[in-house]
Amino acid sequence: MDFTANYDMFLTEEHEMLRQTVRQFAEREVQPFIRDWDREGAKDESDMAHVRPVLKRMGELGLLGICIPERYGGAGMDYLSLAIVCEELERIDTFLRVVISVHTGLNSLAIFQWGSDEQKQKYLVPQAQGVKLAGYCLTEPNAGTDVAGMQSTARREGDYYILNGEKTWISLADVADHFLVVAYTDRSKERRGMTAFIVERTFEGVETHAIHGKLGVRAGNTGSVVFNNVRVPVANRLGEEGEGFKIAMSALDNGRYTVAAGATGLIQAALEASIRYAKERETFGQPIAQHQLVKRMVSHMVRKLDTSRLLVYRAGWMKNQGRRNSRETTLAKWHATVSSFEAADDAIQVHGAYGFSDEYPVERMLRNARGAVIYEGTRELQELLQADFAFGFRENNLLRRELPAYDPAEWSE
Amino acid sequence: MHAVVFIKQVPQQNSVKITPDKQIDASGIEPIISLFDEYAIEEALLQVEKNGGKVTVVTIGGEEQIDALRKALAMGADQAILVNDPALRNIGSLGAAKVGAAVVRKLGDVDVVFCGKQSTDDETAVFGPAVARYLDMPVLSYVYKVHELDPGAKRVVVDRAMETTTETVEATLPAVLTTVKDLNQPRYPSLLKIKKAQKADIPRWTAADLGLNTAELAPKVTYLDRVPPPPRPKGSMIDGGSAQEKARKLVDVLVNAQVI
Repeated sequence: MDFTANYDMFLTEEHEMLRQTVRQFAEREVQPFIRDWDREGAKDESDMAHVRPVLKRMGELGLLGICIPERYGGAGMDYLSLAIVCEELERIDTFLRVVISVHTGLNSLAIFQWGSDEQKQKYLVPQAQGVKLAGYCLTEPNAGTDVAGMQSTARREGDYYILNGEKTWISLADVADHFLVVAYTDRSKERRGMTAFIVERTFEGVETHAIHGKLGVRAGNTGSVVFNNVRVPVANRLGEEGEGFKIAMSALDNGRYTVAAGATGLIQAALEASIRYAKERETFGQPIAQHQLVKRMVSHMVRKLDTSRLLVYRAGWMKNQGRRNSRETTLAKWHATVSSFEAADDAIQVHGAYGFSDEYPVERMLRNARGAVIYEGTRELQELLQADFAFGFRENNLLRRELPAYDPAEWSE
Repeated sequence: MHAVVFIKQVPQQNSVKITPDKQIDASGIEPIISLFDEYAIEEALLQVEKNGGKVTVVTIGGEEQIDALRKALAMGADQAILVNDPALRNIGSLGAAKVGAAVVRKLGDVDVVFCGKQSTDDETAVFGPAVARYLDMPVLSYVYKVHELDPGAKRVVVDRAMETTTETVEATLPAVLTTVKDLNQPRYPSLLKIKKAQKADIPRWTAADLGLNTAELAPKVTYLDRVPPPPRPKGSMIDGGSAQEKARKLVDVLVNAQVI
């Protein structure tokens, strides 16, 4: 069954051709190797040799700049296309989607939204072309959800800021060329005292270290980034002084959207694997697809898949229109990620003992799905946000600079 | 140079249904470009990239064939033509080849024609050679490697892959080349071209546009019966505690089945 059929209210033929293209890429160039890469990535001494070639291919195909206008080196497609890329990549493995989340969602779109034209030319263009890779540095060892608890600082000295601090759980830490970094320029102002910077790996004083021993996303690179008296030119400040928190949060509106879309792809993968297995595996004289409780697990996966996809596409449609979508995006992220973990869990149950080994992909799905229930806003944070929106304690407030609405003509110029 | 590629859209899997009047019902099965035709598109693109010029993709059929043409455009073809005429719905392989030959004649300046060695649905392998016959061009079938394709010198040198042997042959251009699997690595559609392909104007040609008398295109072969492919046999799981135990059981199964 085609689980992406009948979304014509959101999608066009162009989206369908994009989906087939990304699916072909992921199935041909990643799927045959992913179990080995995932095993390899679990080793402390792993050199993760597969990462760069895969990212290079993603760049050549235009996936890394999917929703960036052509004049900035992107493919000039819309924000729904970004969701489709994420769905199809995470359908094969989460590490592929994580690349899009940090490189495109959190970093490139933030530069597109907040950057000066010089910054766009210097950083966004090579990122959208896939020539340079980008990461996003917000989380610190002692500051995750509590962003205001961060300790990184940037002190102005003439035409430079002197950046100090340590960021952790940074995807592509050892691979990215550019980092979007948030630090305090004035701690006394709390959230209004944070500022965002574009930092190059080659700046003196930037060091990165890989994190080993992760539960999931083992095929991907995650690590810490340390800034030790790094001199960042004033020209590399993104937005105004004091706008760092807002920039970080608006970037998360885009990052969470990619996470939600990816989780939707993972649900689909769990469902497809379960259907395939349940039709082949027989117990008590019939395929287990005929057993009621197996049917229930599959039907719940279908419900979670369609509801997640609808929530993601609504958020994408709003982005295309240029509407603020924090409420809708966090709802999609919360629902899709929690659902993806549950779907992967049920997929293991459908597979029985086979699902407990990496002979089948479903145990990897479970491990991969777990992280997204934590990163880019925990499940609990999303719950609080939804309640606050419902009570009217929080609104989709306008920003000084909004993510531009999608304009097909202008984006193809 | 001007390369023309004939492509056909076919059901992705052969799990089609046969209707009571012996027609194929592929409803619900995703349509794709026939496997060997993808290699034909890629080879045309490669040769035109080398020599300059343009690639025209052509298919014969209803409006549902547009997706295949748009995909070829997104891969990099310069123009696409859909020969769409209700009178051409049931014309068989030879009839289709007559239409193909008429398309090449109408285009006029064609240096080389590519198509898959056969379609993956009808599998008659007639189209390419018949187009060559009707156009009085050399036909190089089962092309596995193109050594040289020089429109200036009007010369083409290719390897043909036979069951057990390979032969290297030379012919003059224009010629018809039919392609086998793994001749190249077909590219993915480019994202930038996907957008352009959706907007591209694809002309529809009719039998009249091609100066064809449809009465002469009636199929010369009649299908008396069609038996659908048998359903895939059920797989069986090999249970066991350890990998060694399972492997031992698998070897027993294979030995009993005289596979090893």
